[in-house]
Amino acid sequence: MIAVRFHGRGGQGAKTASRILGTAAFSEGFTAQDSPIYGSERRGAPVSAFTRIAKEPIRERGIITRPVLVVVADVSLIGDPAARMLEGIDERTAVFVNSPLTREELRAQTSLPGRLTTLDLTTIAVREFGKRGAISALLGAVAGRLVGLRPESIDRAVAQELADLGVDASLIRRNQTAARHCYEAVPLVPVEKDVRGAPGPTSLRAPTYDPPTRGTASITAGPNSAIRSMSGWRTFRPVLRPDLCNGCWLCFANCPEGAITIKPDGKPAVYYPHCKGCLDCVEVCPTDAMTVERETEATKTT
Amino acid sequence: MTAQMMTGNLAAAWGARLADVDYVPAFPITPQTEIVETLSKWCGTGELNARFVTLDSEHSMMTAAGAAAATGARVFTATSSQGLLHALEVLYTVAGWRAPLVLVNVSRALASPITLEPDHNDVLAARDSGFVQVHAETCQEVVDSILMAYRIAEDPLVCLPVVVNLDGFVLSFTREPVWLPEAQAVRAFLPPFRPTHLGFKASTPQALGTAVLGGSTYSYFRHQIHLASVNALQVHEQAAAEFERCFGRRYDVVEGYRIEDAEDILVMSNAFASKGKAAVDAAREQGRRVGLLRLRMIRPWPADAVRRALRGRRAVAVLDQNLSPGQGGILYQEIAACLYHDVARPRALCSFIGGLGGKNISEAEFHAVFEQTAEAGIQGQGGGPVLLYTEAEYREMEQLQFLAHDLKTGR
Repeated sequence: MIAVRFHGRGGQGAKTASRILGTAAFSEGFTAQDSPIYGSERRGAPVSAFTRIAKEPIRERGIITRPVLVVVADVSLIGDPAARMLEGIDERTAVFVNSPLTREELRAQTSLPGRLTTLDLTTIAVREFGKRGAISALLGAVAGRLVGLRPESIDRAVAQELADLGVDASLIRRNQTAARHCYEAVPLVPVEKDVRGAPGPTSLRAPTYDPPTRGTASITAGPNSAIRSMSGWRTFRPVLRPDLCNGCWLCFANCPEGAITIKPDGKPAVYYPHCKGCLDCVEVCPTDAMTVERETEATKTT
Repeated sequence: MTAQMMTGNLAAAWGARLADVDYVPAFPITPQTEIVETLSKWCGTGELNARFVTLDSEHSMMTAAGAAAATGARVFTATSSQGLLHALEVLYTVAGWRAPLVLVNVSRALASPITLEPDHNDVLAARDSGFVQVHAETCQEVVDSILMAYRIAEDPLVCLPVVVNLDGFVLSFTREPVWLPEAQAVRAFLPPFRPTHLGFKASTPQALGTAVLGGSTYSYFRHQIHLASVNALQVHEQAAAEFERCFGRRYDVVEGYRIEDAEDILVMSNAFASKGKAAVDAAREQGRRVGLLRLRMIRPWPADAVRRALRGRRAVAVLDQNLSPGQGGILYQEIAACLYHDVARPRALCSFIGGLGGKNISEAEFHAVFEQTAEAGIQGQGGGPVLLYTEAEYREMEQLQFLAHDLKTGR
């Protein structure tokens, strides 16, 4: 069985990528299973999705703890403990990361284990779509290539899954084009067919409980969201051009994270440590004063 | 102490009054309404120094009750039937909050079809919520059980809400003599609630019952609730001993009636157990060695007490006043499960369903139960579920069906 785990941020398309891979494998006659897992549905929050592909019936469910291939949509997930991206990865695991870095550069920067491969999907998406959309088709195509599925199956799966999401035909075609490009461009690494060994030793342990007076899930720590930076969630950042701003405050009112404040001069300011890069402010800005810049590793310090 | 005539509902209200509760969130429903009406009146006159609030539904009512209890207030509320089910998701929630409130449920069968009279599908729907469950047979037991319920709920070994169940109509609207304890004596048995582990302060905010993902945290807390519930067996024992010392009445988790030398035992719960006891007396006069085991505490499940009472018997009949469609009697399953590992388990275990929607259980039906159970014991072959339903009741049913349909067209 081939077990593929996708990591993305809410809105990037990890779930749809897992479905594209599942649909493509199924169309080639394999048994397939795909599923996502996420907490509160929140743009930018870590999301995982799983695709299992086999010739025999699949007798597993839920999370994949020992993947043969890990597909990472955003390099910031590598260092995010909540994403659990490193779980179950060893030197035999194939790991694809959406990054402009080469595998050697990435290895040097992150000391990721596994058989690394990279491709800059974000640049391809920006070039092909001319907008910042989900990269699900690209992730699905890369995964499909690495596990050995045919390009036509990926092509059909992209069309089917994006149509199910209500994506219009022309954008589907551009996704197919970009996906085919990624399919062909991704540097290949071997993907093991099965890494399942004997289960490791474990022992059942009944918990030692707090007394019944401490018997409910409660949090007594004070407010702490201020110390949680969400800079790493961004693929793009909003940047204000004050000369175009009419001071309407729509960005301030629409920011879901309260990351925009109003300065004494009546103009907004983005507080980047709490900006997760959803770009809602860009969408609502009536004068296009809120512009978009791509995050790079160099700029992503705040 | 003198006895006075009062309904089960009034007894329930007295239980709350004697417990000197702080907060009563309320919503009316037949046959429970008299309880909250009475408490409302007493709050108005000042006879009960509590905050009485009417809510927009039982769902809100239980939420308010749980929230108030989580602040450390002593909370009482009451509902019935559809109301209990409307509050059902909140029952799980407030049990998870470990809110030590007391809820009275006045049993009434669930729709559909609609009825007002009792059976126990309502309270048993809340069986797995984490609430401790105590089921009362008499009006006296209602008031006494409420006082004991606060002792159990508030005990540091338990910290769980308790539901005290009484049957609609046959107890809720039925007057019988009740000895009310003196308020002073109750204060000794049940001192004011001053928990150090509950409460909110503006300067120390906290989130209660927070979201936990991944399953391991959830498992930890749910299993912790299970163990706390099991602790309630031992805490009940202490409360019962103390209650007996203070007031002279003794309540155990199960009550055996003439079981010492009984060959066959009938298991029942709630108010109709009184009729079961009369049936035991009648059967004994005919030479049958039978007894009755009444289940008082349903959660935690008093497995040891049930086993002690039932092991070595020839046959046991469980008369469920409830029905799980597609399965049968709910308590029958629990009795069967806890007897399975006992080497001296009864030769036969018989399931009877009776009193659904408050249907009467006649002497003749009890007679049939004892007869079939004895036969099953002799054969070593239990069975069921058998519905208790008489020839006369079936004829009445036929008449009603005739009247309910168009006489000309037959539709």
